[in-house]
Amino acid sequence: MLGSVKMTTIKQLPEVLINQIKAGEVVERPAAVVKELVENALDAGARRVVVELEQGGLRRILVRDDGRGIPREELPLALARHATSKIASLDDLERVASLGFRGEALASILAVSRLSLSSRTAVEPHGWRLGGEGGLASAEPVPAAQAQGTAVEVLDLFFSTPARRKFMKSPGTEARHVETALRRLALARPDVAFALSHDGRRLLDVEPAEDAAANERRLAAVCGAEFLANAIYREAELGGLRLAGWIALPSFSRAQPDLQFLTVNGRGVRDRLLGAALRRAYADALHSTRHPAFVLALTLDPAAVDVNVHPQKTEVRFREAARVHDFLFGLVHRWLRELRPEPEHHHGVGFGSAAEPAREPQPYALPLSTAPRLGEPPGRYFAAPAASAPTWAGLAEVSRAAVPAPPGATSPVEHPLGYAVAQLHGIFILAQNARGLIVVDMHAAHERVLYERYKRELAEGGVPSQALLAPVLVNLPEDEAEAAETQSATLLAAGLQVDRSGPGQLLVRATPALLPSEAVVDLLRQVLGRSSDSGSHAHLGEVLDAQHRVLAEMACKAAIKANRVMSLSEMNALLRDMEQTELAGQCNHGRPTWVQVELAELDRLFLRGR
Amino acid sequence: MHIRHVRNELLGALQTVVGVVERRQTLPILSNVFLEARDAELVVRATDLEIEMEVSTPVQNLKPGKVTAPARKLYDILRGLSEGAEVSFEIAEEGRMLVRSGKSRFTLATLGAEEFPSLAGIQADTQVTLTHKALRSLIERVSFAMAQQDVRYYLNGMLLHIGPQWVRAVATDGHRLAMSELALETGVKEDLQIILPRKAVLELARLLDGGDAEVTLSIGGGQIQVQLLNLRITSKLIDGRFPDYERVIPDSQDRRVLGQREKVRAALSRAAILSNEKFRGVRLQLEPDLLRIQTQNPEREEAEEEVEVELDGEPMEIGFNVTYLLDALDAMKTENFVLELRGPDASGLLFEAGESTHSKYVVMPMRL
Repeated sequence: MLGSVKMTTIKQLPEVLINQIKAGEVVERPAAVVKELVENALDAGARRVVVELEQGGLRRILVRDDGRGIPREELPLALARHATSKIASLDDLERVASLGFRGEALASILAVSRLSLSSRTAVEPHGWRLGGEGGLASAEPVPAAQAQGTAVEVLDLFFSTPARRKFMKSPGTEARHVETALRRLALARPDVAFALSHDGRRLLDVEPAEDAAANERRLAAVCGAEFLANAIYREAELGGLRLAGWIALPSFSRAQPDLQFLTVNGRGVRDRLLGAALRRAYADALHSTRHPAFVLALTLDPAAVDVNVHPQKTEVRFREAARVHDFLFGLVHRWLRELRPEPEHHHGVGFGSAAEPAREPQPYALPLSTAPRLGEPPGRYFAAPAASAPTWAGLAEVSRAAVPAPPGATSPVEHPLGYAVAQLHGIFILAQNARGLIVVDMHAAHERVLYERYKRELAEGGVPSQALLAPVLVNLPEDEAEAAETQSATLLAAGLQVDRSGPGQLLVRATPALLPSEAVVDLLRQVLGRSSDSGSHAHLGEVLDAQHRVLAEMACKAAIKANRVMSLSEMNALLRDMEQTELAGQCNHGRPTWVQVELAELDRLFLRGR
Repeated sequence: MHIRHVRNELLGALQTVVGVVERRQTLPILSNVFLEARDAELVVRATDLEIEMEVSTPVQNLKPGKVTAPARKLYDILRGLSEGAEVSFEIAEEGRMLVRSGKSRFTLATLGAEEFPSLAGIQADTQVTLTHKALRSLIERVSFAMAQQDVRYYLNGMLLHIGPQWVRAVATDGHRLAMSELALETGVKEDLQIILPRKAVLELARLLDGGDAEVTLSIGGGQIQVQLLNLRITSKLIDGRFPDYERVIPDSQDRRVLGQREKVRAALSRAAILSNEKFRGVRLQLEPDLLRIQTQNPEREEAEEEVEVELDGEPMEIGFNVTYLLDALDAMKTENFVLELRGPDASGLLFEAGESTHSKYVVMPMRL
């Protein structure tokens, strides 16, 4: 009832209320409390972090670490708002390397719960505790039994803000949120042990990863063995930016974006720009309703990132957003496109019992960064970034110009997709390779082969562009017109010729010949709008993407249809084409084009070798 | 209503108007045709609310009256009856229409004739009279360039620009433009521009014969009416501003190609087979006395044609949508044609060589 607001005088809010309001930003649910406390533990140099929950964390949250600890005299200060040991000046804030820096977490949690803080540094004979039963921040610390490190116990979260408490879901749901938050942290810090229990039940227990193999074991524990079996590890560094991690094959897509872990300088983030870059990198290989899975760590100079954007610090801002976008998109795009059929790494069909992870312990012993997959020439993935000139335009070109290796170069011994033996119902090609049976959806496979060829032609031959008789005038916000003007070369390369004719006016003089010209104006508005939203010109690439969609339709129409009888030599030729085609594992709509049926799986069907 | 007549005559009348009946309708009565027996005539009328066609044919009128019946079905029935058969239409019980011929009987559902929409009688401000042949020629020379379902609705039609001394027809889809001019004492004092909708243009082209009989265009109140013997076409005009076509037509260009129309046309249509099916790009290389035509498709198939031409000016290379070139050459009548060019980024102008004809075709280039 807006109309019935009472006229009251302006007055300063009491400190307690300020803290409770502030706490609303930082701690919205138990998972946020855990995240803040665990980040503190990590910033204190913990090697092991233990989290215990009761009733989803609403009754009790305990976070214990073995970090440096807090000296007795600093304990009261630790609970005060805007008190931190992590930064001391504006200069520190601009290049903050620790996870926390706001000095708000403990004070915020204290405002909405009964909190006790126990800690012991290496030089103290015993620990000290502050708070606890009826204890407040102003009270004197009392001696406490405590190993080196810090333990924070949060009881009755939101007891003082019943409204917030009503928004909490069931304990099970809240515990799941805590688990997700902790998994994110565990992925970001493979060198730290994490344990989580809920009402006495173990939910997560991972040891520090000493080597790459242990790291993969952790990954399997956190993301599931299936993710690991369908993901590839890649890393690359260019011009001060470093990206490392696992990207799932497009065939391992998810209905929800629940396996997307991206850290920026060790901080888990959900950034729209970076998310868009990854989505675009996968776009050609995934159906639009599916989500890619990845665990990636981006590392760059802390001074080039602003983490002080959001109280929960899940959003970041980059000094050179477009550069970061292009780096991420370019690399992942290239990594995906460098994949060639490798039956060893392809999802099996799983006749009932094939669900167990396909991996044996031995491969873990290989150093990760150089682990070659079967049939790959070593060093192929990592040679490019070092060799290519450190220009950002160059990065995209490398990926586009990635010419398939000549026949036979990939594997001198055997073709990964084997040799055709028969055609099934005019729909599938059956082929055999050393590992067993390969089943290929011939339409889907041919469609991808054609699509990639069409795209290559478009890239090599220059994008055809049809001039308009009379230029079309487009009215836009001024910043968008400005963006179009400064990026006119990019647009021209995509077949769109625009001139600026006024502060908020563009003249479209030529449009991509592949697109109906009236659709182009809408497309231009969209990409410019999105570019100005995200503050980067990265979205201009979508003008080209729209033309690729037309090519995809053409490829679908031109590809062989069901019931087309194929000779063995035709089928073999298609298999060879697939081996050299980028993203050959998926058709243009994201459906798989082939599956491997292992001999072992067939054996199982017939109860052989038991 | 009760009439009787030979099948061929009735079919002819229905055939004339059935084209304007849209196959899919939200307003049921619009899929019907209006029939009225008066004096010794049957009036047949169809409309889609934009265009209305009315034809009258002499019949044996046994009982005057009017009704509307499903246009398509009636047309199909008449078409299926044997030539020269005698057919009768009669309003039967419960408002049904009985169609009888020999031993065939059809009972059709009807809707009330009173509700059949009619474009209001026209208030003609301007009348222009010209021959069938001249009007048909104007339409044939430009109608291919009309846009189809473009959001710029004013392009989905043909401009008639009527001046005191001439009538011009212009059509464009934004990528190419066709203009044809006819010298005529029109009697108008001031220039008048009207845009005929695409459907009206196509219907007119179908119904005009190439003869010297005169046809009168009556224009006024946002409508045009054309009376052709026993047929009357009334159409709403497109209310919009047509682009300034005169600015788009280049006046002098520094390269001039003179070629044999049929030869170049044939070479282009052969080369077009291997152009990209989506945007139909063709590359023209102009050399002294030689035009080289090249196409390539995504399958990397290539076509190359060489045709002798006379080039006046520097050699150059330019890309076009081959369909635009073929359409223009097809619309021409003369043995030779002229293509004028300025540069690879500027428009090309095509026209008939020799006697001063008044059709011009502007084609925008394509960067390939």
